[in-house]
Amino acid sequence: MRIFRSQHLPLIGTVGVLLTLYITASVMYPGFFSLRVLANLFGDNAILGIAAVGMTFVILSGGIDLSVGSVLAFTTILIASLLEKGVSPLLAIPTALAIGSLFGAFMGFLIQRYELPPFLITLGGMFLARGMAFVVREASLGITSPFYASIQDLGIPLTDKARLPATAIIYLIVFAAGVLLTHHTRFGRNVFAVGGNEASARLMGLPVARTKVLIYTLSGFCAALAGVVSTFYMGSGNPAIGMGFELDVIAAVVIGGTLLSGGVGSQLGTLTGALIFGVIQTALVFDGRLNSWWLRIAVGLLLLVFILFQRTLSRTSLKPT
Amino acid sequence: MKNFTRHSFLCALAAGSAAVMLALTGCNQSSNSGGDTAAGTNSSSTGGSSGKQLTVGFAQVGAESAWRTAETDSIKAEAAKRNVNLKFSDAQGKQENQIRAVRGFIAQGVDAIILAPVVETGWEPVLQEAKRAKIPVVLVDRGIKTSDESLFATLIASDFVAEGRMAAEWLAKKTDGKANIIELQGTPGSAPAIDRKKGFEEGIKAHPNMKIIASQSGDFRRSGGKEVTEALLKGAGASANAVYAHNDDMALGAIQALEEAGKKPGTDVFVISIDGVKAAFEAMVAGKLNCTVECNPLLGPLAFDAVERAVKGETLPKRTVVEDKVYDQSTAKDVIATRQY
Amino acid sequence: MTDSLGKVRSWFSGGSLFWPAVGLGLLFIFNAIFASGFLNIEVRDGHLYGAMIDIVHQGAKVMLLAIGMTLVIGSGGVDLSVGSIMAIAGAVAAAMVQANIGLPAALLAALGIACVAGLCNGLLVSVAGIQPIIATLILMVAGRGVAMLITNGQILTFENPGFVFLGNGHFLGLPFTLTVVLVTLALTLLLTRKTAIGLFLESLGDNERAARYSGVPTRLIKTLVYVFSGLCAGIAGLIAASNIKAADSSRVGEMLELDAIFAVVVGGTALTGGRFTLLGSILGALLIQTLTTTMYNLGVPPSVAPVPKAIVILAVCLMQSSKFREHLLALAGRKATA
Repeated sequence: MRIFRSQHLPLIGTVGVLLTLYITASVMYPGFFSLRVLANLFGDNAILGIAAVGMTFVILSGGIDLSVGSVLAFTTILIASLLEKGVSPLLAIPTALAIGSLFGAFMGFLIQRYELPPFLITLGGMFLARGMAFVVREASLGITSPFYASIQDLGIPLTDKARLPATAIIYLIVFAAGVLLTHHTRFGRNVFAVGGNEASARLMGLPVARTKVLIYTLSGFCAALAGVVSTFYMGSGNPAIGMGFELDVIAAVVIGGTLLSGGVGSQLGTLTGALIFGVIQTALVFDGRLNSWWLRIAVGLLLLVFILFQRTLSRTSLKPT
Repeated sequence: MKNFTRHSFLCALAAGSAAVMLALTGCNQSSNSGGDTAAGTNSSSTGGSSGKQLTVGFAQVGAESAWRTAETDSIKAEAAKRNVNLKFSDAQGKQENQIRAVRGFIAQGVDAIILAPVVETGWEPVLQEAKRAKIPVVLVDRGIKTSDESLFATLIASDFVAEGRMAAEWLAKKTDGKANIIELQGTPGSAPAIDRKKGFEEGIKAHPNMKIIASQSGDFRRSGGKEVTEALLKGAGASANAVYAHNDDMALGAIQALEEAGKKPGTDVFVISIDGVKAAFEAMVAGKLNCTVECNPLLGPLAFDAVERAVKGETLPKRTVVEDKVYDQSTAKDVIATRQY
Repeated sequence: MTDSLGKVRSWFSGGSLFWPAVGLGLLFIFNAIFASGFLNIEVRDGHLYGAMIDIVHQGAKVMLLAIGMTLVIGSGGVDLSVGSIMAIAGAVAAAMVQANIGLPAALLAALGIACVAGLCNGLLVSVAGIQPIIATLILMVAGRGVAMLITNGQILTFENPGFVFLGNGHFLGLPFTLTVVLVTLALTLLLTRKTAIGLFLESLGDNERAARYSGVPTRLIKTLVYVFSGLCAGIAGLIAASNIKAADSSRVGEMLELDAIFAVVVGGTALTGGRFTLLGSILGALLIQTLTTTMYNLGVPPSVAPVPKAIVILAVCLMQSSKFREHLLALAGRKATA
């Protein structure tokens, strides 16, 4: 009983923070406590959330992936360009997903085979993908396609004012798949093992090499999928979006309780982290008074409060140093 | 023991930060007291009778230049003058943030939305949502590319193409139609950069001896203008006798680069730009900048005129063009005192 | 034969300055061939003028950041907030100079605040035990907001001749920024190689627990490296502001933290911490700046410029990886002799 509680304390704490934030905002801002805002939370943060599902795997294994923002941008402009040339969306989207996955696989291969530091390889990946996005097209490009129009109209109506958009639905599906993969498959267990202690995992006979490559492939896939959802969300491709996105994703994962050193964490925690991000951003829009600079200071301070709160919680529960 | 001191340090720090956060919100709260409750009760009703306070959401691009800040201040001042409850959002230059802000405004049930779109594409889905919620959208300063014009009430902006053309025509007159020009472009993909380039090229078409010998993006920044000019002067742009910058900030950077290269901006090399910020006028008085085409950021009055009419249900002309004037060294000295931004 | 083979192998795999120097040399040769007038140096207005001088001058900011970043990475951490600290320092100095407060006071205040910012980072990492990426990320986000608060969102311009000289003046025929970099480098080299601090830092980065048990004041040193990194960022910020005679809080230093990390790693310091090389970082910074200038000269739009950076990172990482080198040597048909 006691072990159960102490292990889950960080996650409970994070969820508690989310609820506190949500309730505080609902009290402070009329109109916040509505089904529409709740649906928007999932819809607006779908892009962040989907990329965070992939990033969770990477960070659980003790690595890091700085390329997600650039892969996101590359995917959007690639799809927009292909659609403009008359390629069917049913071909363009899988192509983009495949390219994202291959890109991740390539980085994973380098990291695993030559024991190169993930920070640097994915940094290089970030530069490469960003540059290639601008090579595809220098400026943003709109998408006109009946397929897209029907996706954008898709949504589960909740009340006469609120509606769960397609982006939110995709996010929830990806989240469910993420939970399954992370917590209920052998692959997921391997990821935790590699993150906990790679040498031990190898000695135990786990397929460390294959797991590592798959992790980065998965992250690339999720980043590309986030790009696809982004094209639904905006109806256009833009090579300049997503600058600094990877840091937002990492922050969401870390706030959610996954340790950067690896081996500890959960998809539910990441979802909570992404939602916390969303609640903060929405609350600041509802407030409507903060200038650009106060906004940054506010976000920075909130991040600080969370991290410290998390540290105090994990201090009281985790293994002694 | 070490864990204990760390533990209490962390707790103290966390509590302290939380306290600062609350204080911040408290400070801001006092400076805007009555507005929120009024907005709250109106959140479910749309349209209105005269005398009811309007709630308007303004999704701004960011605060990256003096011009941008002047635009923001103009809109805020006008809102205060007309007793409008203004919800302001700053997207820090990112389209994702602007979309999120507009959706937040829709969820709040504002009466109207003012939007300055950072790029031209990607707005249809969110504007469709606004249309479904029957919230009129007024675009300011930059336009969007869309096939459905009913998605916005009106666009209030300067004509960037005309600005480029006016700059070209001034240069043509000054150089008698003979010039080797370095072009400093704005942020790739932004409406002003695209249009000012197009307008300038149209303007010089009639003068075959006016050639753009080098053209690169300085990203609308002073440092960008300086670095690009420095590099170009040593390469493709070495024989240039004119610099055309898409905005004043880049031109001011270019002026520094020219001086460091031993050339005299304003006399050896003509420098022309667009925007008309005060620093540009100061440079013209100092003889370093030759000409600037005004791009007026004080869009507050026009924006709120449109908002009030749109909320009443009137149909507005799709395009309200803001007039721009050309200023050069001869007029700069007289006018500089009246420049508000 | 074994002897010369051994020599080639050690030359191939070691000397951390070898590869960045090779990279730099190759870039110079490339430019000399394809960019007209690259190797030209002439005298104008009493100082040297040319493309290579420009590289050194514009690279000064990254070189300064790299000096501070080297020590941070050597301690096993990373500092993502240097760009924002640059913005704060520039904003403070510009605001004070505009308010007619004397230049020495303005410069001291700016550097002081930069050190305080670094101290915040250091305390979060060493006392609160927060991971460096996250701790410095917080300041990276909030710091820019603070800088914009100081300038109230405007671009503050100034004409103060002393301040302008910092980033634009010349000393002994070379840009003054180079002097600033050389002085900072010399002081740092003295500090780390002639005192025990360097030794403590390397042992801290190598194995923190062992260092602590050996009596090394790890917490103090960890805090101090972030203060030092903040100081370097402050100096770089002053130069950046002086360069354009204005403090541009929203854009100054953007992405420079990544360039600094890149420079340090290319120069031979491992991200995991431990042994560090300041000279390598300087070479790495020059490499990046030359890359950027090469791109300008070739007319490549700056948005595409990151692609060659990526290739360089990859090449450097591969060359620094022992496994890769073994792979290459095996491919080249040279069997490893015991």
